[in-house]
Parts: sequence; structure tokens; C-alpha cells
Amino acid sequence: MTGRRGGRPLVPAYLSTGGVARPSRPHLERLTVLTRDGTPLPAGLPAAELALLELLSGGALTVVEAAALLRLPFSAVRVLAADLVDRDLVQARAPIPPAERFDPDLLKRVADGLRALKHQ
Amino acid sequence: MIELPELVAGGLAAGTLSALALGGSLVRSRRQKAALRAEVTELRAQLEGAEGAFITEVEHLAARRMPAAAAQLAHPHLRVPGPARQHTPGTPTGIALEYVLTALREELSAQRTRIDAAAQAGLRGATREIQAALYRLQDALRGLQQRYDDPELAQTLFALDHENEQSLRRAQVAAVVCGAWVGLAREESHVVDAVTGGQARLSGYHRIQVNNHLEPGTALVSHAVEPVAIIVAELLDNALRHSAPDTDVVVNLEHVHHGVCVTVDDAGLGMTQDERARAQRLVAGSDPILLTDLGDPPRMGLAAIGQLTRQFDLSVDVSSPSPYGGVRAVLRVDSHLLGRIDPGERPPSVSAPRSTRERAARREAVRERAVRETAVRETPVPQTAVHEAAVPESALPEIASAESPVPAAPAPAGPAAEHERAPAPGHEQPGDLGGLPQRRRRHRAAAPGAPEPQQAARRPEEAAAALAALQYGTAAARAPKRASAPEPQRTDDEGGAAR
Repeated sequence: MTGRRGGRPLVPAYLSTGGVARPSRPHLERLTVLTRDGTPLPAGLPAAELALLELLSGGALTVVEAAALLRLPFSAVRVLAADLVDRDLVQARAPIPPAERFDPDLLKRVADGLRALKHQ
Repeated sequence: MIELPELVAGGLAAGTLSALALGGSLVRSRRQKAALRAEVTELRAQLEGAEGAFITEVEHLAARRMPAAAAQLAHPHLRVPGPARQHTPGTPTGIALEYVLTALREELSAQRTRIDAAAQAGLRGATREIQAALYRLQDALRGLQQRYDDPELAQTLFALDHENEQSLRRAQVAAVVCGAWVGLAREESHVVDAVTGGQARLSGYHRIQVNNHLEPGTALVSHAVEPVAIIVAELLDNALRHSAPDTDVVVNLEHVHHGVCVTVDDAGLGMTQDERARAQRLVAGSDPILLTDLGDPPRMGLAAIGQLTRQFDLSVDVSSPSPYGGVRAVLRVDSHLLGRIDPGERPPSVSAPRSTRERAARREAVRERAVRETAVRETPVPQTAVHEAAVPESALPEIASAESPVPAAPAPAGPAAEHERAPAPGHEQPGDLGGLPQRRRRHRAAAPGAPEPQQAARRPEEAAAALAALQYGTAAARAPKRASAPEPQRTDDEGGAAR
């Protein structure tokens, strides 16, 4: 498990979100890309959200990467990210879906059609 | 015939005299006897009285004084009544009776310690097992937290983890009170982590506000980590318990002359003088702990603190009232229990509050770096403010190209030389002022130990604009006739078009 580098973690994950695991917005996935715009770090944020913002200052990261770097479970980082998105401090972009390959049958039929046209 | 009466008279006289003498001695002896009888009667009465008194004293001893003396061991404020009769103290009987009480007290306290030790051993064994089981449960729960991310399940897992932490705290405290080891070896950790870890073990942790004024990297040596976490958790638990649910409990971490102080302030009712004295006696850890002294149900928190302060050379003070009205508890960790961890290499937990000093230090570092960078570039950059520094820098190639005697050269050289950057930084500038990726990258490069590629945070449309600008720029460089002067205008158009 993450955070085992220093033995049993002293601070449990639920503390980072104040015990909340239901994100305020449902669409964040593991591979959702989080980016931060250049506004300076606001004051008064919870420590964990501040840490996430600082992490994103270095560039865009997926939620799951951020979770690994923060040594938190994904479910906690999802809550933090959702809160930051709500506050307009972070943009979330849906993961790029794997490219859909064309249906070989269709391509074959098109090729056949073209050949048929050529021979006409 | 004269002789006869004389003889008679003489005989009579002698008879009378002897009769008188006999009668006198008879009377005397009778009187003596009476006196003796009276004396005997008196002595017998006295004896009976003394016996009665002795029996009364012994009965009094058995019925009143011995129970009181036994109860006094547990409740020192009870008074043991004196002998039944006022003049008994000082007499041999009184002294002998006191011996009885003294022997009773000694024997009872020895018994009490023995029984308590047996109870403690039993409890210690049981809590050890429970504690180990709860740690295994914790591992399982955290594994599940990593593996499953359904929000409802995650919520339940968080709740279970929190419940588990609380049970663990109770088991651990009971074990510590019974003289056991804290039960977990940790490695050297940040002080703020130990405090935050202690905070997480309580049900009302939302109400706790931690202010960290420590130098970043201030750490506890490994064997002091868990004790400090336990002590902080118990102090916080007391504070939360004895203050209104809508008030905050404030924790301050500060450096003091010979170490670090953790100050816990609550805004509750405070303690009376007696309670405070008792609490101070318990946390000082100087007296041996008896479970029977802790009440029913036993209040173990302060006793556990006492055990730990004695074992680990920590000191806790609860004797002063808080300026918030409640109690102020101060845990002092001496410098021989402190160490240092490089916060860059092993940062504290993300949930731990940032050090106020860290923020100041970072601001200072960023400012220094900005100054250094501008100096290295030897380019007059008008704005020197930290957050502004990146914008003029991104404009630099453009300025250079405008001033360059060879107009076409800088445009392709710019992106090539600035391989760290996004393509053609100058071009997108007019349209994107304010949201420039370069600016973030400056900060990023400033962040220690994180050499990151140039993946800038940008929206897709920004990326499109930048790539379009690159295309345009390379095309412009290939065309020899193009001058650098109208360039910004065109990029402006182009940026607009690309959007």
C-alpha cells in the first residue's frame, strides 16, 4: 500500500478529507487529468488541498498519479480534486478514451465498393 | 481474810483487762476485715469496669475503626475515629490498639498492590491481543481503501478506519496504564505528524485546529513518536470532552528553549483546584498507578500520560488555566528526543498542517531564485516581483528578436533553444496573458527535487493556439522577406483565429 515507505502511516487517509469519501461531483475518474491555472495559492484551504494544488503547480496530473504522489488513496484525492474544481482552482478534463479502431468489415466493404466502381 | 477479796479483785481486774484486750482486738480485726472486704469489692468493681472498657474499645475497634482505616486507604479524605473512651489514648491499651490498626493498614495496602498487579497483568495481556488484532484490521482496511474507489464503499471504509483508530487508542491506553510498552515501533517522524496522528484517533477531530509554528523538518526520534502521539491524543480527548461541542480546541506547536512545546487549549469549564491538583499528580507519573484508584469506569487518560512521561522523559503540565477559559495542557519534548528529517526527501503527511515558517521560507527562496535567474540572464527585466517575473521572461525572446540585426534567425532558434518550454512562447502571449503556462513552469522549476518535463497545464484550445503559432513561426522563419516587426500583430490574429 502507498505510504508504507515510513512504516505504518501515522496519519490515516480520512483525515485529509475530514472523513468525507463522497466527492461533490461524480464524474472524476482515475485518469481524469487535473490542471491548475496560474492563480496564486489561496489562503485558508485545508492542508491536503493545498498540497494537491502545489503538486499541480508542476503541471497536469491524473487523479491517480496525484494520489500516488500524495500517498493517499484515490477515493480521498477524488474528494479533494472535486472540491478544488468546485472552487474553480483546478480544471478537470475527462480521460481521453482509447481510439476506436475502424471496423475491418466496414473497411472491407468500402474497398469492395470502390473496386466495383473502378471496374464498372 | 483480807487476801481473798484482793485476790478476787486482782483476778477480776486481770480478767477485765484481758477481756478488754480481747474485745479490742476482736473489734479491730472485724474492722480490718470489713475494710478488706470493701477493698476487694472496690477492686472487683474496678476490674469489671476495666474489662468492660477494654471490651468496649475492642468492639469499637472492630466495628468502627478497622473498617474506617481500610476505607481510608482507598479514600484518603475519610477520617478514622479515635478510641471509644477519651482517656484511652496513651494508655498501654490505646497503644496496643494503634498497633493493630497499623498492621492492618500495612497488610491491606500490600494486598491491594498484589491484587491490582494481578488485575493489571490480566488487562495487559488482553489489551495486547486486542491491539495486535486491531492493527491487522487497520492494515486490511487501508488495503481496501487503496483497492476500491466506489464512493459509498470508500465512505464506509473511512468510517470503519476511524472507528478502528478509536478502539485502538482505548486498547493502547489501557495497556500503557497497566505498564505495557506502547506496542508499536515507529521510525523517526515529523513532530507535526505525531500530533496530527494523535488528532485522528479522536471522534471530534473536526473541532481541533492545529497551528504548526515549527521549523520544517523538526522530527521526533523513533522511540518518542508513538508516546507523543498517545499523549497528544489523550490531552486532546480531555479537551474535547470538557468543552462545548461548538467550540474549537486549539493546538500550537512551538519551539522553546530546550525543545518543542505542544500546547492544547480548550474553551471549556476548566477544572477546580482539587481536580487540577489530582490531574497534575497523575500526569507527573511520580506515584505508582493502581487501577482501583482510577474510578469505575476507570479514567485512564491521565494515568497513561503519567506512565509515558515517566518512561520517556517527557513532561506534561495541566496546572494552568487556559486564556480561553478552559484548561491549558502543555507537553514539552526535550531536545534530546528531537531530530531532523529533510522535508524535501520525506515530507510530512499531506493532512498535517503546513508550518507557518515553511511558507515564509518558501517565499524567501522563490524571491531569491527569481533574483538569481534575472541576474544570470543579464537581461533588464523591469518587473522583479516574484509572481510577475515569468511573464517578462517569456517575452524576452520576442524582445531579442525585435532588436536583433538578423530578423529571421530568432524565431526558429527560440523554440529550439528553449527546449524546456512550450513551442514559440512569444507568439501566444498577446492572447493568453495571465494564464500563461510558462509562469507555472517557473514555479515548478523552483520547486526542489522535481525536475519535470515541460508538460504545462493548458487547455486544449491553448495548445492548439500554441501549435498553430509554432507552425506560423517556422513558416515565417523560412520566408526570408518577413520582418520581425509585424509579427506580434499577426500572432495576435492567429491566436484569435485558433481559438
